[in-house]
Amino acid sequence: MDRLQEIRFVLNGKEASYTGSAADRLLDVLREQFRCTGVKCGCREGECGACAVLIDGLLRNSCCVAMGAVEGTSIVTIEGYRETARFAVLDRAFAQLSAVQCGFCTPGMILAAEALLSAHPHPTEEEIREGLSGNLCRCTGYNAIVNAVKSAAEEGEGLW
Amino acid sequence: MVNTSGGYSAFSLQEALELRASQDVIPYAGGTDLMVGKHRDADYLFLSRVPELRQITEDAGYVRIGAAVTFSEALASPLVPQLMKEAVSGIAAPAIRNAGTFGGNLANGSPKADSVLVEVASDAKLRLVSRSGERTMDVDGFCLGRGRTALRSDELIAEVLMPKQSPDCCFYEKVGGRSALAISRVSFAGIFDTQDGRISNIAAAFGAVADTVLRFRQIEAMLIGRTIEEARALRDSYVAAYAEQLVLTRGRVSAEYRRAVCLNLLNAFLSQCGL
Ligand SMILES: Cc1cc2nc3c(=O)[nH]c(=O)nc-3n(C[C@H](O)[C@H](O)[C@H](O)COP(=O)(O)OP(=O)(O)OC[C@H]3O[C@@H](n4cnc5c(N)ncnc54)[C@H](O)[C@@H]3O)c2cc1C
Ligand code: FES
Ligand code: FES
Repeated sequence: MDRLQEIRFVLNGKEASYTGSAADRLLDVLREQFRCTGVKCGCREGECGACAVLIDGLLRNSCCVAMGAVEGTSIVTIEGYRETARFAVLDRAFAQLSAVQCGFCTPGMILAAEALLSAHPHPTEEEIREGLSGNLCRCTGYNAIVNAVKSAAEEGEGLW
Repeated sequence: MVNTSGGYSAFSLQEALELRASQDVIPYAGGTDLMVGKHRDADYLFLSRVPELRQITEDAGYVRIGAAVTFSEALASPLVPQLMKEAVSGIAAPAIRNAGTFGGNLANGSPKADSVLVEVASDAKLRLVSRSGERTMDVDGFCLGRGRTALRSDELIAEVLMPKQSPDCCFYEKVGGRSALAISRVSFAGIFDTQDGRISNIAAAFGAVADTVLRFRQIEAMLIGRTIEEARALRDSYVAAYAEQLVLTRGRVSAEYRRAVCLNLLNAFLSQCGL
């Protein structure tokens, strides 16, 4: 039964710690203390997915996570994910199929795609739409993004 | 600098209950209700690493879902009843289902809570625990109104007890604005069962239309013990009884619209039951 003093976790593969309040929002801490500005703030209400990160491999909206809840977990943001071979495949597919316009939703979309493909390496279109259903995009109309994920699943055969 | 504000982490139920009783803390499970809106200047009691609250188990009578089990975990469990899975799979989107929990859905006290709707329809019970003991109560009695529950300030919800049943027919429908992230506008869960040709259970629960999930046992009683033939003859007066009882609070969508949707869903349920 510990009063939380120092919150320890792994961020993009490196040991990290936080000494502020356990009630602080993961979204703010990632952006302000750890300079992970690829984590975007769209709504702060769990509605848009722009702030999505992976916590122990699961997609989570970092605006709905208090720092005390990340103690002992491993967090991956787009800054860490971009170093992976899987990212390279998604990156190419998103670029080729014009799935990026302003780019604000893209980090969250990419991590939602990663979570989806980890669970369903050969997703149906319905599974893709469900997997991305918590991520809003104001620009593309979604079809290009769905196509990009479909294409990444094919091009990245064996990676997921 | 070490700032010690903001929270406690518990690693066993006993620790959590000690803290709950002795400190001014807010239980925190998935954070999907607590973190929305304004920042609270309170100490949280983080529950996600309390193993006793994270399990799904079964005994002779019940499937027992730990209060800190997430919706995604429930969807992956072979023990969780299908009707509950149907409702939970319609909650928001993956990132919310990976965080949101059964205990949080209950304690938040919203009449829109999708898992609570199924619990009310299923005659589920809750096990509430505190340092000084525990009690088991009906979900119906737990929810008192918007944001109000029977939870005491020294208590935690430990688990939801879903009666094991294999009814003849289950029905679930949520009519929302858009599919993903739609907090229910109107939701409905129905359970129908017969024994020796007579109706033994016909539970109908309505979500998101009043201060709590609604269920009218006195109307259900009209059909309990009846044969299918008798129930068919009573169907119109049965639906009329609901029409009279469904006096809805005004909300974002007009009360008349929501009442019409409720009755349509009730009718669809009755038809599916063969009535
Ligand atoms: C974008 C978005 C969409 C949503 N869509 C839906 C939807 O479609 N359907 C739906 O039903 N809900 C929806 N919700 C609401 C929310 O996700 C659920 O109510 C969820 O079940 C809350 O669980 P939690 O663990 O995140 O709760 P928390 O935020 O951790 O806690 C909520 C409340 O429960 C208390 N609490 C938590 N655990 C316990 C316990 N074991 N004992 C006592 N008290 C406890 C907390 O103190 C707090 O008062 C949505 C939320 C968001 C942000
Ligand atoms: S900023 Fe977190 S979901 Fe929108
Ligand atoms: S590309 Fe602009 S929000 Fe999606």
